[in-house]
Amino acid sequence: MNKRNFKRGLKGFWWLTIVFLYLPLAVVMLFSFNAANSAAHFTGFSLRWYIKLFGNQEIISAIGNTLVLAIVSSVIALVIGCLIGYGMYRHRHRKLGWLIILIYLPIVLPDIVFGISEMAFFVQIHQLTGFLKPGLGTMIIAHVTFEIPFVALIVYSRFVGLDPSLFEAAKDLYATPFKRVMHFMLPTIKPALISAFFLSFTLSVDDFVISFFTSGPESATLPIYIWSAIKKGISPEINAIATLMIGGVALAAVMSLLLNRRRAT
Amino acid sequence: MTEMTTSAHSGVENSLHSGAGSGSLGNEAGSKALDAAHEASRENASRRQASSIQMRGLHKRFGKDTVALNGVDLDIEAGEFFTLLGPSGCGKTTMLRILAGLEEADDGRLTIGGKDVTEVPPHHRSVNTVFQSYALFPHLSVRENLAFGLKMRGMPQAQREQKVAEIAGFIHLGDLIDRRIDQLSGGQKQRIALARALVCEPDVLLLDEPLSALDAGLRSQLQVELLRVQKRLGMTFVFVTHDQDEAMVMSDRIAVLNGGNIQQVGAPRDVYERPANAFVARFMGHDNLYRITARQGGRLTTEIGELEVEEQEIEEGNQHATQGELVLIRPETLDLKPGRVEGVNHLPGRITERLYRGSHAEFRIEIGSVVLQATVNNRGRHLPEVGDEVTVVVAAEDLVTLSE
Amino acid sequence: MSTSDTRILSRQRAVANAGGAAISTRSRAMVMEARHLLFTVSPGAAWIIVFLVLPSVYLMAVAFMSNGPYGLPQMPLSVDSFKQLSGFGFLGWSPGNLYTLLRSLWQTFLSTVLVVIVAYPIAYYITTCREKWRPIMLLAVVVPSWTNQVIRTFGWMNLLAPDTPLSDLASALGLISPNMGLYPSNFAVTLGLVYNFLPFMVLPLYAAFEKLDTAQVEAAQDLYASPLKAFWHAVFPQTLPGLLAGVVLVAIPAFGMYVIPELLGGGKGMMLGNLVATQFAGGSNWPLGAAGAILMLIATFIGLFAMRRIGKRLGGGEEVVI
Repeated sequence: MNKRNFKRGLKGFWWLTIVFLYLPLAVVMLFSFNAANSAAHFTGFSLRWYIKLFGNQEIISAIGNTLVLAIVSSVIALVIGCLIGYGMYRHRHRKLGWLIILIYLPIVLPDIVFGISEMAFFVQIHQLTGFLKPGLGTMIIAHVTFEIPFVALIVYSRFVGLDPSLFEAAKDLYATPFKRVMHFMLPTIKPALISAFFLSFTLSVDDFVISFFTSGPESATLPIYIWSAIKKGISPEINAIATLMIGGVALAAVMSLLLNRRRAT
Repeated sequence: MTEMTTSAHSGVENSLHSGAGSGSLGNEAGSKALDAAHEASRENASRRQASSIQMRGLHKRFGKDTVALNGVDLDIEAGEFFTLLGPSGCGKTTMLRILAGLEEADDGRLTIGGKDVTEVPPHHRSVNTVFQSYALFPHLSVRENLAFGLKMRGMPQAQREQKVAEIAGFIHLGDLIDRRIDQLSGGQKQRIALARALVCEPDVLLLDEPLSALDAGLRSQLQVELLRVQKRLGMTFVFVTHDQDEAMVMSDRIAVLNGGNIQQVGAPRDVYERPANAFVARFMGHDNLYRITARQGGRLTTEIGELEVEEQEIEEGNQHATQGELVLIRPETLDLKPGRVEGVNHLPGRITERLYRGSHAEFRIEIGSVVLQATVNNRGRHLPEVGDEVTVVVAAEDLVTLSE
Repeated sequence: MSTSDTRILSRQRAVANAGGAAISTRSRAMVMEARHLLFTVSPGAAWIIVFLVLPSVYLMAVAFMSNGPYGLPQMPLSVDSFKQLSGFGFLGWSPGNLYTLLRSLWQTFLSTVLVVIVAYPIAYYITTCREKWRPIMLLAVVVPSWTNQVIRTFGWMNLLAPDTPLSDLASALGLISPNMGLYPSNFAVTLGLVYNFLPFMVLPLYAAFEKLDTAQVEAAQDLYASPLKAFWHAVFPQTLPGLLAGVVLVAIPAFGMYVIPELLGGGKGMMLGNLVATQFAGGSNWPLGAAGAILMLIATFIGLFAMRRIGKRLGGGEEVVI
């Protein structure tokens, strides 16, 4: 086996893998513009599925639910996660093992266990007290739970990357505790907060399993709608919504990437 | 250029004199303003608004075992360039941080400008720090960094801008003023950190090894600039360093610290030429320390030979006990004579090493079983070679006895 | 500001009068720090405890209760759920649940092996490319996993449906009967799992390759001559920690997978995740579902423990995971 052929073989394998990775997405996007009602034959370009999409009240409300869920949960997670991230930084010399375990728990727990235990818990609480009726509220609670760790870790790592003397310089330059937060800490970690928000947002929009188990009958999000549509049978309409979602996620990813890059330069 | 600098400088100085310093900045009211007026009138006597510092019995422990300060008493005079010198872990940085209010002493009192500030948090102290890492805020421009302290004190924007412009002129910041922090070199950051602290017109300026991150050339250039600034403003500077050369160049007075205790306080010449103990002597770079085994009046028997010292030197030292007593022979005070010459304070030796350094030469000389270092200025005369027999001549007035 | 000044003055006086300044300063600072820790950390900690730890504990308790009407748990405590999981139902022993368990294990094993086979050369190839291309190549591998799992799986449903080029090819080769699709099938589930977890393996492997000590490789080439032997003795051992980390990152979530077998597997492709979900969503048997969830938790904690060990061997690089 000569070295050049080996490298060539690797390169071929790389491109094959890239095709493998993008083919399913490409098919979804391509067939969303298909004129025919077929998943196998592309007969011509058309926007009919998109037009049909926006006449569908269920989809409109799913989009609304998805956005409300993502925005509200991200804002709550941002506040709570930011506090934990700062607490972890400020007290990093203490033994915080229990806190680290707690923070990693939502990340490492399998989605299905996460979703089911919350669902079982919410159902029981609802039966006992009447609170926590499955719906957008319980979904927000669940989403905040899995977003907190990511916000906390992003904020924490931003603080760790700072020169510790900066905190003292702010004190030294007459900033009161409140002014330290407003004029030093928040502006300094602003890029981290923005990227944490975008990450939370995309995690929320992307989530299916946890949403599925904590949702109520009227709180279907886009992934849940797509799921139930798929269960009814493949249709080009699903391709159209899926394409919109792929586009949305790609846009969010590009934005967070650009923000990151601006911070880096 | 010079004229511009002078006028900008006088602007800063004027504002310092006008009592706008610690008290009446921004919207501080009532008793504080009165305090400031009172203080200003008192300090008019010394014609400078600089503050003295008194430390009484300052104690600081970290954890259970680490003693950073062990009951320190120290007075720093108004307008002094005062240096805290010592190896790492000696307590000098802790002392500076207690002055800044970033650390609270476990015990003892601290007074700045006659006011007890032991319990005053840093944002209420008219003390500013130039941090070792500069600690410039990365999210702000140079201009915003300079204005930060004034803004936090609530100074109106117009006045802030004027102050920032004055200080920028005074420190020669030029077009750096609109840069971002990550576009600056180390030396530029250092000067901006200095300007940011100075613009607040503090009673005391604290400098935590501000030059240690810079290379040698830039370092000596900034030493000169720092000194110039301090002399012009007449502000009290407390400077921390572990570099004894830097300490000697810069300071009016030096405090040498070790293990949380002050070993010696004095002018650079005192500390260098009359070190109080072996630690100070070694830290100041002296190696020629020899045990005294017996003494009789001014006559010492040491491990390097018989030496005579001036009587007054004895009186300062310990009269009777020779236990743990040492004599210091500074290398640059020695004369080398070729061959064997008899006489008082004449020590016979042999050159074992010669380092030629252009302006001077350094010798290692074996005298009996001990080694002596000597530095001889190169005045174009004959320099002894390795292996030469020489007689080392020590002047009695240059000998210092000290305890271990 | 003047009020705070007077407050400070009065505090000074109080402290001076009290005399025991040393103790009070120290303990006051400690109390302030503890209060600060409480203030910053407790909202999030409480949130996670109330909305995740408590529910998980409750779920574990459910596994040890008996099955009541509508599948809801009830007293008395029992281990029926675990018996049912291993196949002992009301009608004697039936292999259904046990098959599902074994299938989960097999699918996890198979897909992990396949992911390693694909990811290893890919990770290596990226490290051989020019430095400025590497982040972009890594991004290219990761980006598809940013889209929703349901959509990605739906994409494969499109590709594997009857009458598509892939299905036609398979039936032409006689692998499936004509007019059938490649899904639902166990094959489709494996494919979906490999597709889903490939990036999870490429990233840690890439990190391992990037740290590769090339001097060792060159020495090995010098000593062993054959490239295969050089690889086995010099390259592979160095990438082993990354490989093991990748295995944990792939195998644990694969074992608990729900979406992919549900959409691509059909009735005969069910995995543990589907078994668990059915017990809850269908409202048929919570304790049985909870028992399945406990199995997944055990697998997760074994994985985390393994990860810690690997992390220690790598030199405390636990945060490699994220």
